[in-house]
Amino acid sequence: MKPAPFDYSAATSSADARQQLVAGGGAAKILAGGQSLGPMLNLRLARPGQLVDLSRAGDLRSVTDEGDTLLYGAALRHAEFEDGDVADATPGWLPAIARGIAYRAVRNRGTIGGSLAHADPAADWVVTLTALGAEVVIAGPDGAKTLPMTDFIRGPLSTALEPADVLTGIRLRKRLPGARWGYWKFAQKAGEFAKASAAVLIDAERGETRIVVGAIERAPIVLDDPQAALADPETVLPLLKRLTAPNPPATLALHAAAVRRACLAATAPKDEDMPS
Amino acid sequence: MTAISLTVNGRRHAAEVEPRTHLADFLREDLLLTGTHLGCEHGVCGACTLMVDGRPVRSCLTFAATCDGAEVQTVEGFGEDPLMTRLRGAFSRHHALQCGFCTPGMLTTAYDIVCRLPEADEARIREELAGNLCRCTGYAGIVAAIADVLADPTPASLQPRERPALRSKDDGEPSTAPVKAPARTAETSFATSLPIPERIDGGVSLERRLALDIAPDRLWALLQDFESVVGCLPGAALETPSGSPDAPVTGSFTVAIGPMRANFRGRALVAYDDARRSGRVRGAGGDPVSRSQGEGEMRFAVEAGQQQKKSVLVVALVYRLKGPLSQFGRPAIVADVVDRLLARFADNLAALAEGRGLVHAAPMSGFGLLYQTMSKSMRTLLAKLRG
Repeated sequence: MKPAPFDYSAATSSADARQQLVAGGGAAKILAGGQSLGPMLNLRLARPGQLVDLSRAGDLRSVTDEGDTLLYGAALRHAEFEDGDVADATPGWLPAIARGIAYRAVRNRGTIGGSLAHADPAADWVVTLTALGAEVVIAGPDGAKTLPMTDFIRGPLSTALEPADVLTGIRLRKRLPGARWGYWKFAQKAGEFAKASAAVLIDAERGETRIVVGAIERAPIVLDDPQAALADPETVLPLLKRLTAPNPPATLALHAAAVRRACLAATAPKDEDMPS
Repeated sequence: MTAISLTVNGRRHAAEVEPRTHLADFLREDLLLTGTHLGCEHGVCGACTLMVDGRPVRSCLTFAATCDGAEVQTVEGFGEDPLMTRLRGAFSRHHALQCGFCTPGMLTTAYDIVCRLPEADEARIREELAGNLCRCTGYAGIVAAIADVLADPTPASLQPRERPALRSKDDGEPSTAPVKAPARTAETSFATSLPIPERIDGGVSLERRLALDIAPDRLWALLQDFESVVGCLPGAALETPSGSPDAPVTGSFTVAIGPMRANFRGRALVAYDDARRSGRVRGAGGDPVSRSQGEGEMRFAVEAGQQQKKSVLVVALVYRLKGPLSQFGRPAIVADVVDRLLARFADNLAALAEGRGLVHAAPMSGFGLLYQTMSKSMRTLLAKLRG
């Protein structure tokens, strides 16, 4: 239960991390919070030659107000979102999402950027940031580039990141208080990997409505016609049957239930509590 | 080795640590602070939870090398801390421990709950305790003890602090050279002798229908050549073909899933049913490095497609993973690997049918992409060398 030997260095900035990745060749890998990579290292399922630690890189630990958007540094930790230590681009949704991630001891080290780069299909940020229409900022050999979440996540544990790329930030549009949100996931035990999850954004002022289905065997599904699903949530089950790979009926029903409940949370009268 | 300087239970320590040493091992083995318990060592059980900079963390998922400048508080370090003294008393009164193995982690989490969530009710206490497993008392006593202290809380003397972020003097200038790990020995080779299961009970099943632009007769003929079929599966290699229908073939399969990489070696029995144009592959194998094992059965059948010269290959898979890889090989993740593998297999099979070379050869996933680009640049290099 001990990792195979690796080299270690702490990056002082994202640029420093990139240089170290390039110098390390294909053997070097980023260590952010290490809460997903750590178990894989301990079990020797992952055996990188070198880890470049981002957790204290100054430029990845802040939030930048860009006017219409906020740019979150990739090394911000889940607990910092949960506690409201960082500015919230939404009317209070980010702390609620962060609170549901694994356990507090994990949230104290796990980072938003690390979660996206790891791209576990059941990860809360992978699903919710797709629904929020987030963009990720990546520092690569040709400078910085920006990708929408839908292009960034390629599948389970698979992203658009090249070996020497560093995910530096996540850009979120500011949402006004009139916007609505619903997120629901099914986990057999609090803090476990979700078996089904769905997120719903209804932002009438900006003309954005999005329904995202997560915790499936591919990148999160963004429904083409969210209005139809909102109007009649019963259409979701046959739709998912077409969109996903052959799944047992119980699995499909669970995914459909997640969509229905997330829709319900996003459309319920405001003074009611969201189902949790 | 990495030089670190940190405070543990109020005392400063300077140490040289191997990068792979996690904080719990550093505390237990180097500082002989064995109050921190190790249960699962992969972040599930919570036994190793302790305070770093006033916040609970998993010490099995925290490398000691990352703790330079940190303030660590273990269960031994709370001493006369008023809140911890009350929690200890409450745990004792409410029979919140039996064997005591989970208790250091439970007390750490309890301390955090009382500090951070003064309004927590029983449901919230249980939610917050979800990351700490207890295998003997059940949780009633633990929850009652925390609720007892929350009813009249004592202010916490241990408060979260933020270690300053590292800043480069000149942006982009690496401030520290990477610390070199000791050279590792080569992976041991092993000849697998795992029994091939007759049936896979309680396995995960998966069925896919692969539409191919190959006539059914031709497809069936191609499938008879087992060596070529294996060649169409990126990452798979046949080591010894079968001499007779009852003798197993041996081979290997390399797969990379995210940062994980496994190389399975094993044996399989291959059977064809000419009349039904179907077949069965049953096998078992293991990855010696990750100590993971897998067994499975694949049934396949050739069906005629909806148009002429088209066919459908029906693939039904039942598998079971054991060992560390099973922790991460959740059905949704395995399904994605299988889908990507089958997509490449279909391309390769089509190329084979047309007498072209294979389209995909490298093992799958991000690592596979890396190998593909590497081999491309190596090909360019070779072409240049040859003039």
